[in-house]
Amino acid sequence: MADLTVDVVVIGGGATGAGVARDVAMRGLSVALVDRADLAQGTTARYHGLLHSGGRYVVSDPESARECAEENRIVTRIHANAVEQTGGLFVVTPDDSEEYADGFLAAAASAQVPAEEITVAQALAREPRLNPGIKRAFAVLDGTVDGWAMVRGAAESARAYGAHILPYHEVTAIHRDGDRVVGVTVRDVKAGADKRITCRFVMNAAGPWAGRVAALAGCEDVDVVPGRGIMIAMNHRLVNTVINRCIKPADGDILVPVHTVAIIGTTDVKAADPDKLPIPRAEVQQMLDAGEALVPGFRRARAVHAWAGARPLVKDTRVSASDTRHMSRGMSVLDHASRDGLAGMLTITGGKLTTYRLMAERIVDIMCEQMGEDRPCRTADEPVPAAEGAPTYTVTHRLADREKDRRDDQIICECELMSKSMFLDLLEEDPSATLDDLRRRLRLGMGPCQGGFCSTRAAGLMCAAGARSSVQATDELRGFLKHRWIGLWPILAGGQLRQAALDEWIARGTLDIDHAPGQTDPIEPYPVGTEIDERDRARARAVIGGQEVPA
Amino acid sequence: MRDVIVVGGGLAGLVAALRLRRAGLHTTLVHMGRGGLQLGQGTIDVLGYRPSLVAHPLTELGEFCALEERRGGPTHPYNLLGVEPVRVGVGFLRELVGEAMAGDIETNVLLPTALGGLRPTTLYPASMAAGTVSLDPSDPGALHDGSRVVVVGIEQLKDFSCQLVAQNLATIELPGGGRLETRSASVSFPGRGTEADSNAVAIARALDRPERRRDFVAALGRLARRGETIAVPNVLGLTDETFTAIADGLGRPVFEIPLPPPGVAGMRLTDRLTDLARAYRVEMILGSRVIGAETGLGRIRSLRLGTAGHETDLEARYVLLAPGGFESGAIELDSYGRLHEPALGLPLAVPDAELLNDSWAGEQPIFRTGVATDCTMRVVEPATGEPVHENLYAAGGFLAGAQRWDEKSGEGIALASAVRAADSIIEQLKES
Ligand SMILES: Cc1cc2nc3c(=O)[nH]c(=O)nc-3n(C[C@H](O)[C@H](O)[C@H](O)COP(=O)(O)OP(=O)(O)OC[C@H]3O[C@@H](n4cnc5c(N)ncnc54)[C@H](O)[C@@H]3O)c2cc1C
Ligand SMILES: Cc1cc2nc3c(=O)[nH]c(=O)nc-3n(C[C@H](O)[C@H](O)[C@H](O)COP(=O)(O)OP(=O)(O)OC[C@H]3O[C@@H](n4cnc5c(N)ncnc54)[C@H](O)[C@@H]3O)c2cc1C
Repeated sequence: MADLTVDVVVIGGGATGAGVARDVAMRGLSVALVDRADLAQGTTARYHGLLHSGGRYVVSDPESARECAEENRIVTRIHANAVEQTGGLFVVTPDDSEEYADGFLAAAASAQVPAEEITVAQALAREPRLNPGIKRAFAVLDGTVDGWAMVRGAAESARAYGAHILPYHEVTAIHRDGDRVVGVTVRDVKAGADKRITCRFVMNAAGPWAGRVAALAGCEDVDVVPGRGIMIAMNHRLVNTVINRCIKPADGDILVPVHTVAIIGTTDVKAADPDKLPIPRAEVQQMLDAGEALVPGFRRARAVHAWAGARPLVKDTRVSASDTRHMSRGMSVLDHASRDGLAGMLTITGGKLTTYRLMAERIVDIMCEQMGEDRPCRTADEPVPAAEGAPTYTVTHRLADREKDRRDDQIICECELMSKSMFLDLLEEDPSATLDDLRRRLRLGMGPCQGGFCSTRAAGLMCAAGARSSVQATDELRGFLKHRWIGLWPILAGGQLRQAALDEWIARGTLDIDHAPGQTDPIEPYPVGTEIDERDRARARAVIGGQEVPA
Repeated sequence: MRDVIVVGGGLAGLVAALRLRRAGLHTTLVHMGRGGLQLGQGTIDVLGYRPSLVAHPLTELGEFCALEERRGGPTHPYNLLGVEPVRVGVGFLRELVGEAMAGDIETNVLLPTALGGLRPTTLYPASMAAGTVSLDPSDPGALHDGSRVVVVGIEQLKDFSCQLVAQNLATIELPGGGRLETRSASVSFPGRGTEADSNAVAIARALDRPERRRDFVAALGRLARRGETIAVPNVLGLTDETFTAIADGLGRPVFEIPLPPPGVAGMRLTDRLTDLARAYRVEMILGSRVIGAETGLGRIRSLRLGTAGHETDLEARYVLLAPGGFESGAIELDSYGRLHEPALGLPLAVPDAELLNDSWAGEQPIFRTGVATDCTMRVVEPATGEPVHENLYAAGGFLAGAQRWDEKSGEGIALASAVRAADSIIEQLKES
């Protein structure tokens, strides 16, 4: 018996999957979007935050550049609340040759990417911390985009068109009836139960995990190689404009101001497993040097957090080559009908977050063609509900909000100006949300103290609101701090190490968190990979299965 | 000429300066800002975990040190000091502050935390006495099986969830067996005007005022039921007198639970020690950072202070450094992964292990980094054990070898090493 019947199941709640689900729903088909964890917690939570102007690709890949320029305008319109129009600069540092810069404007013009050269003095007036030795500067229309808000926006829009949005539903089996896909089994991770969804079509948008998902349908050898990149957030906006190094795309060549921080990135190193993405010290050093080249004194600023994401590189000789007109640059589509003789399933990976909407449009076109449906794409036509009538994002908006309500509301997270009612309202909407889920939406614990002060308050509120027992809330707090540690220890130095010592004094010294009720080393309630978490995963399964927890 | 310059205004610096001054030495205390004492909870932790719970800190110190010996790496301060200086150091603090601190150096107690756990400590402010759980079978303690506690939160104070504390406390099996009976309640008490968001200091300051205090006592009186002990967050006044007035007004047991920084109880202790230092005419130079030293013939001749735009050289016969650890910026790791002691560039004792690792629940060896000393607390080269300067001593969180927050040993180490260092200097000066 099916628990749910839909036309289409979309696997993966990252940018790609959310875009596909919205597109399918807006074309009038019924759809379920499932992710093994929260929405936008995979690659889409581990990227650089740049809404490309196209400038990065004008020389290496003009077609990609043109797509970015076009989609930048659309995403800014339909996701205004998630986009900050920072603008961008391409600068030639004293270490760079001017050869690349010489061809930049002409290449931008032919790719239809707006760009103009400004004087070094103008660039320095705009960004006073920039390396004063820069030789040339070009202004472009780069922006920044909050991937969490964008995906949430797309998912809410899809929901408004009838989509079922199912985070924490892991696909454990894909069912086929002969050479057709007929449905999937998902594990409701939080409830600990299996559900069956019947469908006519499956869209595999599982990013770097897409190969594993395809294997569930019996499509073997979908070889997806994760290309790992690290990023480091510095404790404040060293720049207010996206700064690109005007060279052939390379490691560590972009500095992106996002919310309250500035993010330097990134690298590209083959990884064995998307669930195990280390943040090696050598790469941290490389990024800090790269930052120093753009902004002198960068190393003396404070690195607050680091993360690693994986680009899925599909190494498959059988990638459908016939349909390139349907493709967006950098994206790969596997048509399992032609590849494996299995109808009703497409795999889509790669591309950029900036072009997520276009990728979705292209692949849903293919799907409709295969389903024999003639339904045009409408995703560029209207903004998502959260962006309706909204201005684009500005970093100071929370300050303005708190100025208004500071007499009546408490500030729970001072670094990110998150109020008590913001937290309680979301918790009421979804009482099963973890502190980490709430963080992705509220930026709780993302500032310099990395949760040292606010997370204890937040755990207290979860208990006071009745969403958790006191013991659960205490474990939730431990889990949150443990998670933050993953992105902290590789970059701890200077002021942030000093902060970490203070945080340790609070958590272990004053609060003696290791001996408070609950588990000393908390199990991850909803683990999704990594070496450390494999142990937790086994323990969590045991708990969910009602067995005794091994010590 | 000045006998000693003490650097650091935390527990170690203040106590060392008082010890030196009481021996009649001309003492100058220099600090950049008040120390960690006022960020902490105002208790004196001697040794709480080794890593099992410690009931008798002095008797169990030997076993702790034996384990530390086996660990290797920088020597733990307690291994250098031994038991006696701990007894002397804690005893000296008692002598200084009198009845403000309760407890027994021989036996730890457990105190409720703001997470609703029970945490070991040795001495505690009088305002926490009604919340103690005994670790000594012959002493029933203030709270025991069946004790009824109402945990009262303050709506305007976000650092204390009375529900979390009350519920968690009730789940704990007490060391002597049985459980507490708890419930939670809250009162509205803005620190200023009708503000929704008050920190502990603002509320404490309000409670120092008699008319606000009356309102608060009345509200608590209405809430509490017969036979209940009242637990409140650590906000009962910036002076010790406020607690006495509230306890008298309530006429029933009441105690405070420590909060994350700023710690009101820690502020009270800092104030008390600072007032004493003034009374004993310790010369105080505040808001100054030590940025270097002039040395010669194996001694420090003077310290260089950077004070608001100009530099001063301060001469002394002896220097006692108590500037704290990583948390106060006294030890630094730069972005290249190099450890420094920024004030004087002293050599550091560094654990021979991966300094930081991926285990949140496990230990981070980096925090054992610090300066090495001999057993008189004179700073030595970690490699050779030779004195770095004949007249340079160190105490407190600056010392290598401890994981203070895990061991719950911060104040014990600070007191023992500060008094030991001060006494070494006193002896040296007597001899010369
Ligand atoms: C280092 C780096 C930097 C980048 N920077 C930028 C940038 O600045 N600008 C830009 O535009 N793009 C950038 N990108 C690209 C961008 O991040 C990606 O294009 C985008 O996030 C991909 O999203 P996705 O939905 O395809 O994958 P993901 O976000 O990884 O989504 C896949 C989802 O599938 C889920 N899943 C896996 N297995 C299962 C299962 N069995 N059942 C259910 N769900 C499952 C996962 O939990 C995951 O949420 C960057 C990428 C990287 C790696
Ligand atoms: C645009 C942007 C801006 C940011 N700004 C800030 C900021 O200002 N401050 C800040 O502190 N952080 C910032 N971050 C980083 C962010 O807080 C997280 O560190 C990042 O999203 C990783 O998430 P995490 O901490 O939950 O994951 P991690 O701590 O890396 O891992 C947590 C969990 O995810 C699992 N996991 C590990 N790798 C993967 C993977 N590849 N896919 C799926 N699951 C995985 C692990 O099993 C673990 O259970 C920013 C991120 C982005 C994309």
